[in-house]
Amino acid sequence: MLSDVITPDLFAAALRIATPLALAAIGGTICERSGIVNIALEGIMLFGAFFGTATVLATGSPWLGVIVAVLAGVIVSAIHATASINLRTDQVVSGTAINLLALGVTGFLMELWYGHPGTTEPIRTLQPVFHFTASGEGVLNEIWRWINGVFLSHTPIVYATIVIALATHWAMYHTRWGLRLRALGEHPRAVETAGVSVARGRWVAVLMSGALGGLAGANLSIEQVGVFQENFTNGRGFIALAANIFGRWTPIGSYLASLLFGFADALQIKLQPFRDVVDIPPQFFYMLPYVLTVVVVAGVMGRAIGPAAVGVPYEKE
Amino acid sequence: MNGKTRTIVAALLALMLVLAFVPGCTTEKESDSDEPTNGDNGAETPTTDVKAAMITDTAGLGDKSFNDLTWQGFEQAEDELGVQVEVLESATINDYESNLDQLALAGYSPLVATGFMLTDTVSKVAPMYPDTMFINIDGFFDPVPPNVVGVGFKENEGSYLAGVVAGLATIDTFDDRLNDQNVIGFVGGMDVPLIRKFQAGFEAGAKSVNPDIKVIALYTGSWSDVAKGKELGLSLIEQGADVIYAAAGGCGEGTVRACQEKGALFIGVDADQYNTIANSGDVMLTSMMKNIDVVVFDLVKAMVDDEFPAGTMQVFGLKEGGVGLAPWHDFDSKVPQSIKDAVDKATDDIISGAVTVPEAL
Repeated sequence: MLSDVITPDLFAAALRIATPLALAAIGGTICERSGIVNIALEGIMLFGAFFGTATVLATGSPWLGVIVAVLAGVIVSAIHATASINLRTDQVVSGTAINLLALGVTGFLMELWYGHPGTTEPIRTLQPVFHFTASGEGVLNEIWRWINGVFLSHTPIVYATIVIALATHWAMYHTRWGLRLRALGEHPRAVETAGVSVARGRWVAVLMSGALGGLAGANLSIEQVGVFQENFTNGRGFIALAANIFGRWTPIGSYLASLLFGFADALQIKLQPFRDVVDIPPQFFYMLPYVLTVVVVAGVMGRAIGPAAVGVPYEKE
Repeated sequence: MNGKTRTIVAALLALMLVLAFVPGCTTEKESDSDEPTNGDNGAETPTTDVKAAMITDTAGLGDKSFNDLTWQGFEQAEDELGVQVEVLESATINDYESNLDQLALAGYSPLVATGFMLTDTVSKVAPMYPDTMFINIDGFFDPVPPNVVGVGFKENEGSYLAGVVAGLATIDTFDDRLNDQNVIGFVGGMDVPLIRKFQAGFEAGAKSVNPDIKVIALYTGSWSDVAKGKELGLSLIEQGADVIYAAAGGCGEGTVRACQEKGALFIGVDADQYNTIANSGDVMLTSMMKNIDVVVFDLVKAMVDDEFPAGTMQVFGLKEGGVGLAPWHDFDSKVPQSIKDAVDKATDDIISGAVTVPEAL
């Protein structure tokens, strides 16, 4: 049984499932570190997935689709930035509005452009980067089969996500931008006193999270499935927020948390056929991200406190 | 930002919120562009004052199965019987009751509620409108309220045929995607008794022709998570499955893509998915059809003819033509006659009662 559960595809699936979560979670991390709550990630992903798919349908180019998906994410997040930074509205309300808007607008545009609701026509997808074959017997071949299966079977955005996680983490702790970003979320007044615009810093952060959310949508539609379907994201934006908290508001933490959630989901799929041996209901795994998040927030696993000024609109004096 | 800009932005945001609900609740389908002959000059269309309406479950129109099939039956009723039809989509489960109320108050009867997810709501709403007739697809009532018809299908019988096909195909070689492992897969949506019924029939059918077969069943826990449907497909294929039957709503589309990517065959569900899932012909062996459109049309017709079987459960199996396999389409010339004969034999056996298909595992 163990050899049926612990397979290269178990880990490969974990990486695949984790990728959209991680992108959105890192987006959430950047945004919250600047002091803006972004529960609109779900909607931003949905917009990205839809406009990305629509672009591929119109032009046949998956890469152009990815670019448009990112741009769509940026544009939608600009609404959130305007509302929460310039208009100082409640950030949760603005985020909720965008989530509802995304469901409505994408469904509406599907009717308008394609004449039917539901699912779009299939599109050309981004293919895996490497194409190695793994066959033969022996220990070396077996090791190669594992390396190939787990690490070398993926599509471009899966690898890009790892790079993004490392790069943003480095930037957050080793650059001036990172220092200011963290200060924005902790003590915006100090940043303003130092002569740096709070509004501008926060705008940049929100737009970056929009770009990452859009990329997450592109991963789902243009890499993983190759269609767009209404309510395509199925709550992944919210799991991403949980991953951000579980990862304690750091990019690498967000990535690892997403990987853990992805692994739990992949494991759940592999365990299902063995319900008669290990009877863990799949529902247990569905709830795992949320339970872990509550555990972390409750402080059971060490201190986890968000940025001090997160969610508080900043008023210039 | 000054006051004026602020007002404009606020107004825009408010407008967006309103817009967000537009396709959610009240997408109206009327007899417009596509039927120009219907109406004033439609002398052949008989007239009736029956107004039929449906409410969808949360999958909504465009699910390429269930809700779309009910709507097909409605369109036929509109064309052939002159019935006035209407549909309200339900964005969330909270819309079920208000949608039914709205249609009942507007004088529509019968009201068709698609899916077992609406059964509780129908039980609750029907007694409040005793003069309105309700039809609940996949709804089981005991006892049946006097103004309700519960429509059931013997999905296990149709799935049995799908199992016969998959069980024989996996040990056959008519397609080079069929491997030498005696394994087939099943993808379910939510783990509920109705879907277990599909699984039970499928497994029984496969084992009837191939006793040593291994059937791996996985559930997505969702009706709409396409990406999850694909992951499950990939996982089944990795475990050696070469024919996969999916009864998982919109998730099935993802499983089709997994089959195309990794090389396996697919059996569709509810509708003839060769037609409803775009570009799926290369893997679509057949589909297990629930002829919901036919049943809905017949019930609306019964309403027009004043023969509506109110207060009863209507169950449609193979015998009644309620379930069955779709055409082979692109696989017609590939599938060996022996498999086609086995399907015919299983059909005869079930109809004659020689074989009883289990309803649960």
